[in-house]
Amino acid sequence: MTLLVTLALRALFRDWIFVFCNVAVLAGVIVPLLVLYGVRNGVYDALIGDLMANPATLQIDTAGNQSFTPADLAEVQGWEDVRFATLKTRSLFDYVNVRATGGRGRQEALIAPSGTGDPMIAPLPGLGPDEVAVSPALATQLGLSAGDGVEIFTQAENRPRQLVLNARVAGVLPPGRLDGRVVMADIGLLDLIEAFYDGYALPEHGIDSGKPLADRAGSFEGMRVYAAALDRLAPLQDRLETRFGVRTLARTAEVTSVLTLGRNLGLALALTVAVAAAGLAASLIFGFWGEVVRTRRTLANLGLLGLPQWQLSLFPVVQALVTAVLGLCVSFLLFRLTAALAERLFETGLTERGGLVSVSPAEALAIAAAVIAFVGCASLAAARAALATDPATVLREET
Amino acid sequence: MADALVLRDLGVSLADGDRGFALRVPELSIAAGETVGLTGPSGTGKTLLLELLGLLRVPDAGGVYRLCPGDAPERDLTALWTRRGRIARLRGRLFGFVPQTGGLLPFLTLSENVALPQRICGRPDPGLVRDLIDRLGLGPVAGLRPERLSIGQRQRAAIARALAHRPRFVIADEPTAALDPENAAEAMTLLFEAAGRTGSAVIVSSHDLDLLGRFALTRYRLALDPDHAPGRPVSRLVAAEDGPEAA
Repeated sequence: MTLLVTLALRALFRDWIFVFCNVAVLAGVIVPLLVLYGVRNGVYDALIGDLMANPATLQIDTAGNQSFTPADLAEVQGWEDVRFATLKTRSLFDYVNVRATGGRGRQEALIAPSGTGDPMIAPLPGLGPDEVAVSPALATQLGLSAGDGVEIFTQAENRPRQLVLNARVAGVLPPGRLDGRVVMADIGLLDLIEAFYDGYALPEHGIDSGKPLADRAGSFEGMRVYAAALDRLAPLQDRLETRFGVRTLARTAEVTSVLTLGRNLGLALALTVAVAAAGLAASLIFGFWGEVVRTRRTLANLGLLGLPQWQLSLFPVVQALVTAVLGLCVSFLLFRLTAALAERLFETGLTERGGLVSVSPAEALAIAAAVIAFVGCASLAAARAALATDPATVLREET
Repeated sequence: MADALVLRDLGVSLADGDRGFALRVPELSIAAGETVGLTGPSGTGKTLLLELLGLLRVPDAGGVYRLCPGDAPERDLTALWTRRGRIARLRGRLFGFVPQTGGLLPFLTLSENVALPQRICGRPDPGLVRDLIDRLGLGPVAGLRPERLSIGQRQRAAIARALAHRPRFVIADEPTAALDPENAAEAMTLLFEAAGRTGSAVIVSSHDLDLLGRFALTRYRLALDPDHAPGRPVSRLVAAEDGPEAA
């Protein structure tokens, strides 16, 4: 086998002009396709990256005054498209005052429900009953950092006393995730605030007057749900609206538009690849076949000297595979140059995560394997022709 | 000398539509180290007979084609065609070929061409390669590719290649057809001398009766049967008498 490979390579590189032609044909098809694929990846990744940078993209909020129970929440949490779901209290009571424990200044802030697995507080895994996460703006204004204590004040018009809740800052949210002053807390804490507004007694928090808390029915105004993935957002929104007969708010139109763009770009690329591959296949099949016809005396000679026919059939296959590897090397080199030129020409600043033209190492490896397999298949007709070589040709034909 | 190759009532038939050609070998024995000359007019099947001998052509059923090594059991060579996978290897080991025009591989140097049969057979012997190249006067051009060699040098290189793996038989199909008379005689002399050193039998076909007449050969002649059917000639091998004859 070593001898066969050696002879095939010696024969191949003696006629370097034919190698050059085949490598040029390969590169002429592969490089434009790589650039198209890279641009499709670069643009699409940038758009998807922008969407995914904010977990709120996956968020679905119920609108208006509805009535959800913990059983409803449990049902939604069981849906496979749901990454996280939480109940919401009435938006009327969303604002609280926050002060650092022992501090002097207070700031009004929006309070929002959260819980274990909430993508909005990631990388925090969840919040305990007396823990909160705060937005960067609120943290800056109150000088808060993880581990600090805070007091959350609520004042209702019909209550003689303020409700004061003590909590610990579990973490400050990453910049850009939530604008303004926001406190995220466990739904239990928000439910407590709502009960305070509704006039219930909360003796463990110093509110002795009011209706007994045991009489309170467990009902919530809304629900906030996060889809497991971008392409699950629209189906999940439909399901929520159908199941509960409610209207919801989400960035579905924006997400669907980007996903459709990606799908259409992928289809256009697939069509281009199919047409190019058909042309390339025809070119390679006839090229390799013609090469066997041209060098049939060489093959016949090797057969005459005792090389079995099946080894002769591998002769063009070995040459084709080596040509494919050379073609790939040249193609990726030209692709890198083209990509660098494109980045320099356009200077789009399209994304901070990657360039305009993007092909990952894993994708490059997969493309290389596909090209080698493709070229190997294209050489099978040549292999068949080599298999039919008659060694007696050497004795019968004159040069 | 013990017989090494024995053919008896062996034939090969070719057909192409209404036309056909048949070659019949009633009796042919080639001993180890023997030199055999094969003559006959064009179209009588000299190359076809060499192909038959060299395991390049399937014989008709019913004949005998046997290898009798002397130091090993006899072997029925017609049976090989039922399992063709082993034919190429056996052909490579048993035979060396000298085609009309050298048949060297253009991408190998002369010395690499000569060593190639050894590599294919798995019997490397660089010493014999060097010896053959030197004896055939090819030392100064051993590193050149065939395109840089003269026709005479290519033909001598082909002779060296045919003998490099010490085959039992060398089949030379009009090896001097492309050479002028002086170079032809020299090449033929070198072929027989070199074959004599390696102990190989030589079967050489040629139109040049004068040239063959200079060497002590067992001579055979192919001739068409006079009463063959129209469009289906039959050629038959017969032992040739010494002396001038039509080629």
